[in-house]
Amino acid sequence: MEEIMKGFVKYTSDPYSAIEEWKEKNQKKVIGIFPMWLPEEIAHAAGMLPVVMWRSNEAITWGYAHVPPYNCPMNKSVVDDAVKGKLKFMDGMVFLRECLQSQEVPFIIENNMPPAFEEYLYMPPIYHASNADLEFTRGELERLRKSLGEFGGEEITDEKLNESIRIYNKNRSLLRRLYDIRRKKPGIMPARDILKVVWSSMLMLKEDHNKLLEALISRLENNGYEPVKGKKVFLSGCLCIHPQVELLDMIEDLGMIPVDDDIYVGYRYFANDAEITDDPIGALTERHFIKTPVDPARGEVEVNWGKELVDKVKRLNADGIVTLMTKYCPPHLCYYPDVKTVLADAGIPEVLVEIEHEIISYEGVKTRLQSFKEMLGGV
Amino acid sequence: MGVEYKVNRLRATGNIRPLVDKHWGDLRAAKERGEKVAWASGPSFMFPYSMGMKCHFMAGYASYAGGIGAADELLRLAETTGDLPETCSYHRLHMGLVEAIKKGVPIKEQAILPLPDLLIAGRYCTEQSHYSESFYRRMGLRIAPLELPFVFNKEDRPRIREFVYRQIVENVIPNLEDVCEKPFDYDRLSEILSVLKKTATLRNECWKFLATKPATWTLWDYAVSMAPVIYMMGDPAGIPFYEDLLKELKERHEKGIPALAPEGEKYRIYWDGWIPWAFLGKFMRKFTPHGAVCLCGRYPWEMFPHPELIDPEHPLDTVVDWVYGEETGLACHMAPKGSIEMIGELIEEYSIDGLVMFSSKSCRMWNQSHLDQIDALDKKYGIPGVVIEADMIDPEMVQDSQIDTRLQALFETIDGRRRR
Repeated sequence: MEEIMKGFVKYTSDPYSAIEEWKEKNQKKVIGIFPMWLPEEIAHAAGMLPVVMWRSNEAITWGYAHVPPYNCPMNKSVVDDAVKGKLKFMDGMVFLRECLQSQEVPFIIENNMPPAFEEYLYMPPIYHASNADLEFTRGELERLRKSLGEFGGEEITDEKLNESIRIYNKNRSLLRRLYDIRRKKPGIMPARDILKVVWSSMLMLKEDHNKLLEALISRLENNGYEPVKGKKVFLSGCLCIHPQVELLDMIEDLGMIPVDDDIYVGYRYFANDAEITDDPIGALTERHFIKTPVDPARGEVEVNWGKELVDKVKRLNADGIVTLMTKYCPPHLCYYPDVKTVLADAGIPEVLVEIEHEIISYEGVKTRLQSFKEMLGGV
Repeated sequence: MGVEYKVNRLRATGNIRPLVDKHWGDLRAAKERGEKVAWASGPSFMFPYSMGMKCHFMAGYASYAGGIGAADELLRLAETTGDLPETCSYHRLHMGLVEAIKKGVPIKEQAILPLPDLLIAGRYCTEQSHYSESFYRRMGLRIAPLELPFVFNKEDRPRIREFVYRQIVENVIPNLEDVCEKPFDYDRLSEILSVLKKTATLRNECWKFLATKPATWTLWDYAVSMAPVIYMMGDPAGIPFYEDLLKELKERHEKGIPALAPEGEKYRIYWDGWIPWAFLGKFMRKFTPHGAVCLCGRYPWEMFPHPELIDPEHPLDTVVDWVYGEETGLACHMAPKGSIEMIGELIEEYSIDGLVMFSSKSCRMWNQSHLDQIDALDKKYGIPGVVIEADMIDPEMVQDSQIDTRLQALFETIDGRRRR
């Protein structure tokens, strides 16, 4: 088990070196993909390594010469990494209009560390998915296929794209299986390890990740399971970035067991497959318009995030929800009061913890989580 | 003793308050008269107007509420129902309004609005759609979405123009027709644009007096005069307002009366970002003692800067081309890369000495790029700039000392460069 985890942790403990080492060894291009909506499959089909851009492992310093502190941790961190030259191993970057802040990042990147390849996609919100929305989105994805193909020097055919979708679907299916195991056997793995398994999927070649995942799942399914005592909690939110592992440890140390989540570096990342059809761009377009899990950045109105959470908590027989809010995240900020109201009406206990990049008062968070645990009752 | 600067107040701008009060008063009473009401965000309010509906405009209402001193109570009301303070203050303001309506909380009467029959969620900034979504969740109101992206690369503009045009024809207009139970009135849209063309042409004549040295009026005067070219679009009352304003500016210019007494400004400033609607007096008092006047800015220049391109014969194309047309380039200018070009043009046209980038702590639409913009513009034009942090309407986000210190630093930098 420890040996398998090493394969994942190599990437999450120092993604910069691990990816650079992979690149050196495999002599392939690396493409940074800005979270959360862009299909990595297209870069993979171009024979490149797509990596989902991440919140860094060190304090922001130079980045504050470009971004004010009251902006989201993802942007601050990516800009900081870029201006420090830590992202030079990325041959290309793909950005998108997703929220107010994501649409400004590439300007700073271009000004200070322009990558060899850059693309900007105008991904629309999903709402009612009109023909105009569908056709425009399809056009954006076709554009990415064309430009990445040109950058790689080889056309990205439907066959190649379908093969990549197949590999990615397999990865998603394995991750969903991992989550199924956790739901059935709460606490079988520490939350920090689950996070690292999912996060490493965003950083590694999917084929390699699949092999590790298969080994991990086989071990989890066949090993004995000692039930862990604790209050079952659902983790919600945390858009674009991964939460601090120390925070996950704290939740567990206080006697709560995360049994499921809808965080980005979690279930949200692998929830939806793309279909294998003779129109793979069409399949990726369709996936963009899938309404669940509800994404507050995406303009969904027909499905309610609060109700979705109530259903999940009831299905899991969970005791409460820990909302992890990425600090200064407008989509989550704007949606949160409505989620809170629905949960309160349904009698589901919930607590809010804000996730910053670095300035997080663990003592304050601990007090809040302790109180929450007391609300949920004893073990 | 240094020069003691004082603002020469304009008489004509005093005429705007009754006009905007009437506008919002008409909207407030619309339901009682049996009229349909829409709420719109982004540049989309002209479509409900074309159907004879009364229409709220998200940013316009926020500015009005801020201007009449109603913002604070609405913001705090929103926070009592779960909104966090770093949420967009325009969003919070509207959430406060809906809570006041739902629970019958007494608020300033002028700030109360009727709930709409249709929300047009113009996603010019993404929060503008989030507020519509919140209303949908809380009140079950009908939404017509309209994605309006800023154009990051110029070459992207044509296909985005086509996308926006299609959404209007396929999403917005059918929703309006359904709600109003009649076909879309293109003729009325043409009439609105004819009035707007006259109003904006007069407004552009007035703009010329911001370029004079010394300046004849200020950005703050223009800011309070913007309603006739935005949410009062199509209201003929805007024409005599701007005629009167233009007349006064001409008279002032002929008599050599500058915006700042006694002898005109010492520093000519570009202002980037939103207007601090609830604190106009405060900001005026921060600039005036230094002999500084704000003269132009990206946001206040957004509203139909080229009236010569308004073609009432082709109303839908005109509206789309306002933002996505080749000649205006507005959607490109709203994005950070294109903004350099627009701000550069304003620097030259208005003989700007320094840049003030107004960084709203609750609106992150533009503030992320401010530091890089200052850098790029300083390199190109030799103009220094500073960022000041505040908010459009939330008093809890306005800390005077950092603003004062940074403005002082800007003026000293300009002085230093002049001495070279």
